[in-house]
Amino acid sequence: MRTNIIGIYEDEEVVLKAVDKLQENGVTVADVMSPFPIHGIFERLKLTTRLPLATFLYGTAGAITMFAFLYWSSVINYPLKFGGKPLNTLSFIIIIFVLTINIGTLFTFLTYFVRDKLYPGKQVTLPVPETTNDKFVIVVSKTENMTEGDVSNINKIMKESGAIEIKESDVNYNS
Amino acid sequence: MYNTRVRGVLIKGNKSYSDITHDVLRPMNEKTPLWWWVAAFLASGALFWGVWGFYNTISTGIGAWGLNNNVAWGWAIINFVWWIGIGHAGTAFSIFLLIVRQKWRTSINRAAEAMTIFAVMAAGLFPLIHMGRIWDGFFIFPYWNTRGPLWDNFNSPLFWDVVAISTYFMASFAFWYIGMIPDFATIRERTTSKMKQKIYGILSFGWIGSAKGWLRFETAAVLLGGMAAPLVVSVHSIVSMDFSVSVVPGWHTTIFPPYFVVGAIFSGFGMVLTLMIILRKVYRFKDIVTDAHFDAVARILTFISLIMGTAYLTELFMAWYSGNEYELFTFMKNRVTGDYKFAYWTMLTCNAFIPQLFWFKKIRKNITMVFIISIFINIGMWFERYVIVVTSLSKDSLPATWATYSPTITEISIFVGTIGLFLMGVLMFFRFVPTIAISEVKGVLKETTTLKSFTDED
Repeated sequence: MRTNIIGIYEDEEVVLKAVDKLQENGVTVADVMSPFPIHGIFERLKLTTRLPLATFLYGTAGAITMFAFLYWSSVINYPLKFGGKPLNTLSFIIIIFVLTINIGTLFTFLTYFVRDKLYPGKQVTLPVPETTNDKFVIVVSKTENMTEGDVSNINKIMKESGAIEIKESDVNYNS
Repeated sequence: MYNTRVRGVLIKGNKSYSDITHDVLRPMNEKTPLWWWVAAFLASGALFWGVWGFYNTISTGIGAWGLNNNVAWGWAIINFVWWIGIGHAGTAFSIFLLIVRQKWRTSINRAAEAMTIFAVMAAGLFPLIHMGRIWDGFFIFPYWNTRGPLWDNFNSPLFWDVVAISTYFMASFAFWYIGMIPDFATIRERTTSKMKQKIYGILSFGWIGSAKGWLRFETAAVLLGGMAAPLVVSVHSIVSMDFSVSVVPGWHTTIFPPYFVVGAIFSGFGMVLTLMIILRKVYRFKDIVTDAHFDAVARILTFISLIMGTAYLTELFMAWYSGNEYELFTFMKNRVTGDYKFAYWTMLTCNAFIPQLFWFKKIRKNITMVFIISIFINIGMWFERYVIVVTSLSKDSLPATWATYSPTITEISIFVGTIGLFLMGVLMFFRFVPTIAISEVKGVLKETTTLKSFTDED
C-alpha cells in the first residue's frame, strides 16, 4: 500500500496553477481528482488514451466481419435471388454500416470499463469524498526515496498554491 | 479542440458547485411527492389497459385490429414511427449538440436521453405485437436453422429496421449510462442511507473521478456520440424506407429519408420541451434549466418546422410535376381535399404553421405558450404518420380494393399502454436518477457565471 500526499483545493483554476508549480519544482503529480473534467489537466499530466484507435479497429473489424457474413450467407451458403437483384448487392451497405456502428459502440463501451477498471459493485474509498461534489484533489505519491525535506517542500508548495488542506492518505484509491 | 463561446448565462443564481449538486439531488432526497403517486397510478392504469390489448391481440390474432386487406398497416406502424421519432430527441440533443460543442445542452441532455430509451422501448413493442405469432419473433434474427439454413432477406428494409433499432437502443443506452456514472458516484458519497449507498455503489462502478478516468470518460462520450450521430440519420432513413421502397402512391418518393429524419428530430425536440417544462416546474429547476434553454429549443423548432413545411410542399409539387395521376389523386384528392382532409390539415397546421409563432419573442418567453405549442407538435407528428400510412393504403392504384380504416378498441388500448409504459419509465427516471447531468453542468458553470466562492474571496 502506498502513501500519498493529498492537497485539497476549491477551484479548478487554482488547481491548474498548483500543478504547474509542483511540476516546475520537479514533483511528479500522480493524479488530480475532480468533480468534473478540468480543461488543461490532461496535457499537464501528459495523459493520453488509445480509445479512439481501439474504436477505429473495432469498427473496421465489424465492417469486414459483416461483409464476410453477408457474402458467405447470400452468395455461398444459400444463394437465393430476391427480386432479380444480384446475390452480392449494393444494399448490403446498409447492414454493414449499421453493424459497424453496433460493433464499434459495443466494444468501445466494454473497453472503456475494462481499461478504466470499472465494474458493478467495485468498492472504492475516496481519500476526499467531496471530490465528487465541489473539491479538487492533487495526489502526489510518496516514494521510498523521498526525504523529509522533499515532503515538507511539497507541502509548502501546495500550501502556497492555495490548498485549503493538506493531508497524507494511505488509501490505495486507484487499485 | 474547437470550442464555441457561450452566449449569455446558462446557470442562474450565482451557484457554487456544491449548490448544483444539492439542487439536482434535492428531489431524490425528499419524500415521494403526491403528484408522483397520482401520475404513477394513471400511467400504470394505462399500462395495464395496454397489457389487456396486448393479450387480446396475441390470443385472438391480428383480427382483433381494424386492419383489412388494403390497409394492412394501421395504428401499429403509425405509433411505432411516432415513438421512434420521439426517441430521436435524446441523441439529437446530446450527440449533435455535443459534437457541435453547444454548451447549453448540459442542462437538458440527461432527460432527453432518458426519454430516448423509454420511447424506443415503447416503439420496439409494436413490430413484436404486429407479428401476431410473437413466439416466432426470433425468426427475424439470422441464426443457423434447419431450413437450409435459410437466411433472412438482407435486402429488406424490415430487416434493416430490426438491426438499426436494436443498435440504436444499445448505443443510446451506452451513451446514457456512461454519462450517469459520475453522478451515481456523487450520490454514493453523499447519501447517508445504507440502502442507497449499496445501490448507487453498484451503479457507479467504483468511479473515483481521477484525471485519467475523466480523460477516458470524455473520449468515450465523444466516440460513442460520434458513432451514434450517423446512426440517428440511418435509423429513421431506414424507417422511411419501410415505406418508400414500395410502389404505393404517396410512399414511393425519394424525399422520404430526409423528410423522416427531420420529422423525427422535430417530434423529439417537441417532446423534450414538453417534458422539460414539466420537470422544471415540479422540481423547481428554474436556475439550471433557464428560459434561455427553452428559447434555444424553440428557435431550433422554428427552423425545423420550416423544413417540414418545405417537405410537405415538395410532396405536393412532385405529385403534380411527376404527371403521375395516382400520385396526384393520393395527394390532392385523398389528402388535401378528400376523406382524410381533417388529418392532413391537422398535420399541416400543427407542424408547419403553429410553430411559426416562435418567431415572436413574446411567445418564446411565455413558457405556457411554449408548452402548448410543444403539445401541438406531438399531436401534429402523430397525424403526419397517420396521413402517410392510412391515406396511401386505403385508396391505392386499384379502386376495386379501396377500403376505409378505423382502429378497434384493442389498437387504441395498445397505444395508450405504450404511453403508460413511457410515462412509467419517465417517472422512475424523475425519482431515482439525477435528472440533470451534474458533472456536465459543473463543467460549464464557470464559463457562464461567476462563482460564489470566487466573489467572496475578492
